[in-house]
Amino acid sequence: MQRYLDPSVLAGISGLDLVAKTVVDGFVAGLHRSPDFGFSQEFAEYRAYSPGDDLRHVDWNVFARTERAFLKRYRGETNTLLTVLLDASNSMSYTSHSTTKMDYARYIAGAIFYLANVMQRDAAGLLVFDDEVRAYIRPSTRQGQLHRLLSGLENAEPHARTDFAKPLVHFQNFLRKRGLVVVISDFYESPEVIVRTIEPLHFHGNEVVLFHVLDPKEVRPNLGEPAILVDLETQERMEVSPEYAQNEYRQKMDAHIADLRDRARRSGLDYFLLVTDKPLDAALREYLTIRQGRF
Amino acid sequence: MGFISPWFLAGALAVGLPIYLHLLQRHMTTPHSFSSLMFFERRTQSSIKHRRLRYLALFSLRLALLLLLALAFANPFINRSAASMTGEKLLLVVIDDSFSMRAGTRLADAKREALSVLASKGAAERAQVVALGSSPRLLTQITPDAAELRAAVNSLQPGDSHANFGEMGRLVRSIADSVRTPIDVHLISDMQRSGMPASFSEMALPSNATLTLHPVVTEAVPNWTVESVNAPGEVGDPKKAQVQAVVAGYHTPAAMRMVSLAVNGKTVDTKSVAVPAGGRATVNFASLDVPYGLSRCEVRIDSADVLPADDVSLFAVERSDPQKVLFVHEPDDERSPLYFRAALGAAAETAFTPDSVTTDRTANIDPTKYAFVVLSDVVSLPNSFEDDLRKYVQGGGNVLIAAGTSTARRGRIPVTGDAILETRNYSSDPAGFLNVGDVDASYPSLEKADRWSGVRFFFAVRVNPDNYRVAAKLTDQMPLLLEKQIGEGRVILLASGLDNLTNDFPLHPVFVPFVEQTARYLSGIQSRSGASLVDSFLQLRNAKEQAVSVEVIDPDGKRPLSLKDATSAQSFQLTQAGFYELHLANGRHDLIGVNPDRRESDLDVIPSDTLALWRGNPAAGQPQASTEVQTQVTTQPYSLWWYVVLALLAVALAESLIASQYLGTRREEL
Repeated sequence: MQRYLDPSVLAGISGLDLVAKTVVDGFVAGLHRSPDFGFSQEFAEYRAYSPGDDLRHVDWNVFARTERAFLKRYRGETNTLLTVLLDASNSMSYTSHSTTKMDYARYIAGAIFYLANVMQRDAAGLLVFDDEVRAYIRPSTRQGQLHRLLSGLENAEPHARTDFAKPLVHFQNFLRKRGLVVVISDFYESPEVIVRTIEPLHFHGNEVVLFHVLDPKEVRPNLGEPAILVDLETQERMEVSPEYAQNEYRQKMDAHIADLRDRARRSGLDYFLLVTDKPLDAALREYLTIRQGRF
Repeated sequence: MGFISPWFLAGALAVGLPIYLHLLQRHMTTPHSFSSLMFFERRTQSSIKHRRLRYLALFSLRLALLLLLALAFANPFINRSAASMTGEKLLLVVIDDSFSMRAGTRLADAKREALSVLASKGAAERAQVVALGSSPRLLTQITPDAAELRAAVNSLQPGDSHANFGEMGRLVRSIADSVRTPIDVHLISDMQRSGMPASFSEMALPSNATLTLHPVVTEAVPNWTVESVNAPGEVGDPKKAQVQAVVAGYHTPAAMRMVSLAVNGKTVDTKSVAVPAGGRATVNFASLDVPYGLSRCEVRIDSADVLPADDVSLFAVERSDPQKVLFVHEPDDERSPLYFRAALGAAAETAFTPDSVTTDRTANIDPTKYAFVVLSDVVSLPNSFEDDLRKYVQGGGNVLIAAGTSTARRGRIPVTGDAILETRNYSSDPAGFLNVGDVDASYPSLEKADRWSGVRFFFAVRVNPDNYRVAAKLTDQMPLLLEKQIGEGRVILLASGLDNLTNDFPLHPVFVPFVEQTARYLSGIQSRSGASLVDSFLQLRNAKEQAVSVEVIDPDGKRPLSLKDATSAQSFQLTQAGFYELHLANGRHDLIGVNPDRRESDLDVIPSDTLALWRGNPAAGQPQASTEVQTQVTTQPYSLWWYVVLALLAVALAESLIASQYLGTRREEL
């Protein structure tokens, strides 16, 4: 578990507060103070009764003294709801160095969970998917939630292919409250399909962040000689030449990234490209800094 | 062209391996996993073309590598004329400088003949001069320089060694292995019959060598010599020492010869002896009166023959005072001192005087004054004497203990304190006695006394042999002669008596050499020989005397050993006749007379038919006196192995370079 909570990563982002961009429900204690009111023990103000209000909230002591009905209002302590959608398809197992894309995604998710659940007391949940929903941990602030989340990350092993449609529809059925949704994937799909599948989450009032995880050799492949490549998801074999990998592939990959970024931003989604040879804390810091600036 | 091992060519079938790898598996490329082929397109045509071109060079090199490897094992050769290989010959001039060449003007004639052979050689022709003694000595390198070759011949001095024509054959064979040119061998010698080896095949020359013989004599010459001298190396009592000389005549008529014995250059005795025709006669000198210390002695005859150098035989004698031996016995035992004294006295070269003392008179005796001590079947010893004996042994003294019936009653061995575990009385056995079974002939006491058959033992004691070296056992495996190291000294235990009661050992001839050898071993005096032969080796040190300097002074008064050899050489070859002075590693000074091998005195020559057979021309009845060089026109297999191996190495290097380039590329792959 400790490997997901790398102290160097946490030290790098502890100065940054995870401030939710959107107030989802209720009031937030601490930094996540919500403009909405809830019902808790911290008194906020009185409001004159109007027909239709719940009589259980009427302050009968005030009514006895003044013969006017007032409702007691309290400051809510509801936290931000964070859900991480982790792509666990086979393509995430690729690596050209020591860290696979899946490991890198685990590190990011683990760091976010720790930051949200331990330091910000946010309710955090996890959904692991490939072409199905493989695991789902409901967002919660209960004791031991971080452990469950990290165990869920640990058990997420790559298999099958990526299919965003089915898992996200399923996820929308679970989603009852608005919050922050982080999607971590290598997004080997048409940008149009990706955005079309994910943007309904934004329509429901969620703040959606896309972490696009890629290996450096996926961005800039370097073939010394003609080689046979095997697709990790489809097992398709293809003989490719170094010249193609050097030129056309790179152009196509750059176009794919640019297209996804543009479409995501046009749809109100945040997009970040993370290459697995970059330091993890730098990637998180970059994201959180931007988030703080936007808040 | 042919192959020495053609079956190895079957290894060329291994070329199928690279053919399979490169052609049949040409399209087999190790696939690499990739996350998604979403952005890739097939480009098959260009990649295969590229790979085929690059692998072709590696394929060719690997084929060549395997073919050359099979070829190297098959060892190809071509038949070439021996003369055509280099177009030149090697002239090998072998001059016999053995002892017999001192006769008359033989060596001078040989040198003159050698110079004439060298004069006939061409200016560019290479030659080498070799002196032939017991082993050939290369006087020059292979060189065309006529002046150097002539100087080597002129510098040749008469030697003292024994010629061996087998060694010459061995030399020529080794030269033929390294020099692949025809060799013209010219042997200039007195063709002494005694120089022939035991097997004629040892004299055989290789096929590319031709032998031309230049005999300096053609028939046997009469010669007298002192063939051998039998004299003690050490003398204790000059009156008991005898010198026996054998005078031999080879191809000589019957004649009277005067034989004289000289000590340190002074003739002490002269005798006349009748030597039969071609026979031998023995001369005895009844005494050898030499002064104390080392003396140079010689036996000389007046022969007036062609080889006066063999009329004398040298030997060295050392005279010293007899050493005292303490012999302790029981008062009632009068036999054992008698037998022991008689045995010591009978030994020809002994220098020991036994002091017989009974056990009751040993209290005030200091054992350190004696060369060694004998305890003959003693029951008890005064405590002070036994303590002194223990200290004596601890300090390096040596004791011989004979354990008979009296010692058995005591129950333990004196000095060592070992318990007597058992006594065996064989007289009660059906045979009544036991003989000696196993004998360790390497044990010093038994070196000359290993004929124990017939010696009967009636009684023996047994001790625990764990800490002893057992040198002899009875037939029932009872240890009979044992040695134990105590401190710096040693104790020899005879598990029976010396008194002719418990055994009949003193009555047998083997008793004398046993007592003599044991006395020498216990007193630390090694047997020395005052004479040796030229070319024999002299032991300079033993295993305990490493890194101790020794000194050898040859008959010319020079020190032939270098400083390094003086501290490390184990042995030294005696190359000259005369007296050698030695300062050995154990501190002793020694003198040794060195005489030439007496086979050199027989001046008979090898029969002409044998010489013709040796030359490889049995039809020729007479030795070939011509110095004309003949060229042997024969074909010789000329191996191409080295060329094949060189090509193999070059191909292997190229293959490694090209293959490493592929490997280097693969490291950059996905």
